[in-house]
Amino acid sequence: MKFALQVGAQLALNADFVVNKAGRYFLLNEALCKVARQDFYYAGTYLGKVKNGKFFPSFNLLAMLAKGDANKVIIDGQAAWLFICGRDIFRRSIIAMYGSRKKGAHTLVLNEFGECLGFGKIVCSLDEKVRGDEVAVKNILDVGDFLRREI
Amino acid sequence: MSGKEFFINRYEQLGWKFVEATPRQAIRINLINAKGKNLEERLLNAGVSLEKIPFLESGYWVSESRVSVGATAEYLLGLYSIQEAAAQIPATLFTSLKGKKVLDACAAPGGKTVQLADLMGNSGLIVALDVSKKRLAPLANHLERCHVSNTIVYQLDARQASKLKIKFDRILVDAPCSGNFVGDKNWFRRRTMADVERNARLQREILAEAAACLSEDGEIVYSTCSLEPEENEVNMDWAVRHLHLQIEEINCHGQEGLTTIFGKKLDGSVARCRRIWPGETQGFFVCKLKQVGKR
Repeated sequence: MKFALQVGAQLALNADFVVNKAGRYFLLNEALCKVARQDFYYAGTYLGKVKNGKFFPSFNLLAMLAKGDANKVIIDGQAAWLFICGRDIFRRSIIAMYGSRKKGAHTLVLNEFGECLGFGKIVCSLDEKVRGDEVAVKNILDVGDFLRREI
Repeated sequence: MSGKEFFINRYEQLGWKFVEATPRQAIRINLINAKGKNLEERLLNAGVSLEKIPFLESGYWVSESRVSVGATAEYLLGLYSIQEAAAQIPATLFTSLKGKKVLDACAAPGGKTVQLADLMGNSGLIVALDVSKKRLAPLANHLERCHVSNTIVYQLDARQASKLKIKFDRILVDAPCSGNFVGDKNWFRRRTMADVERNARLQREILAEAAACLSEDGEIVYSTCSLEPEENEVNMDWAVRHLHLQIEEINCHGQEGLTTIFGKKLDGSVARCRRIWPGETQGFFVCKLKQVGKR
């Protein structure tokens, strides 16, 4: 999948089990495949949706990608809280980094427990010496979205 | 036939002295997602103190909280769900769930669907129905947040479940009901016996359809958050008499179901149901049914 490559990950899904339902993509298991009718509203694992030609990943997909090799930044507790409130990540909050550190790359954002909180875009090379109070990763999507959706 | 005095008088005739009740906030740990994650300790560090609910495996009272339990990272990551304590009971009453075909007949907003998926270890399959389209989005969000992967959701009236042409091993009928006064200060003002009777009819129709979709050794768990016997014991008595179902023994929190309702004697097996009057939890009713001869 193109999005997986964007965050430096590889993902092989059995195409027979992936269903496109009006631009929303779902990964079904075998049992669901046997009973699924065309008119379902939601099924199996929601992978994300395509809107205006752009793919918006689900948190299930991000969590799947975070289990393997991918661009990842691990952030401290306070930054994790701010990130799920929609804020960007300062360089000083990053505890560890894996995969690409290049400016412009997309990266998964994980908390100190290794749980995926969302993803963002690296806005300054993480290899360079940057000031701690400089934004290093711009928030694109975070799990706080579940709360914002309900409003 | 409405008003606070009318309903309180009914409850007294059923043996319960009315008290204002404020149920305690409760959460349920999603065991698959939270396994090995020290959730209690993490929540304590976030300012949330928990107390184990004695009659539930994965349920906890929120004894103190400095933050909203619906806005912590742990909640957003699906490690736990906010679910009223009594509402956590029905899904736990099925004999076994792993690998089974399960119907959640009135699923939205999905608290019990997620609980079923958790108890099933995301194995088998759940078909979750709800008649209301606008209630499907919160249900889908709930499934995504909790990483449920074995569920398919349809907008479908539970009374048409047989259209799916699936025989289910387990069916949860958490029926639409009149609710109760706990947490709804206008309940006594809004509700009439006509509502109760209309809901009771609807519940019987859903139950009949559930019975038609049940596999030979299948189980139905029926629940409501109504205190009105017409929606509970009287409906179970009807199911025994008309749907070739029998009421199973269950071992859970609550009192025996009432077998005499306003002077009318019901089938003795209705005592196997559980009625929970409001207190630490909301008011609730639950019952487990199987086809006759399959106990």
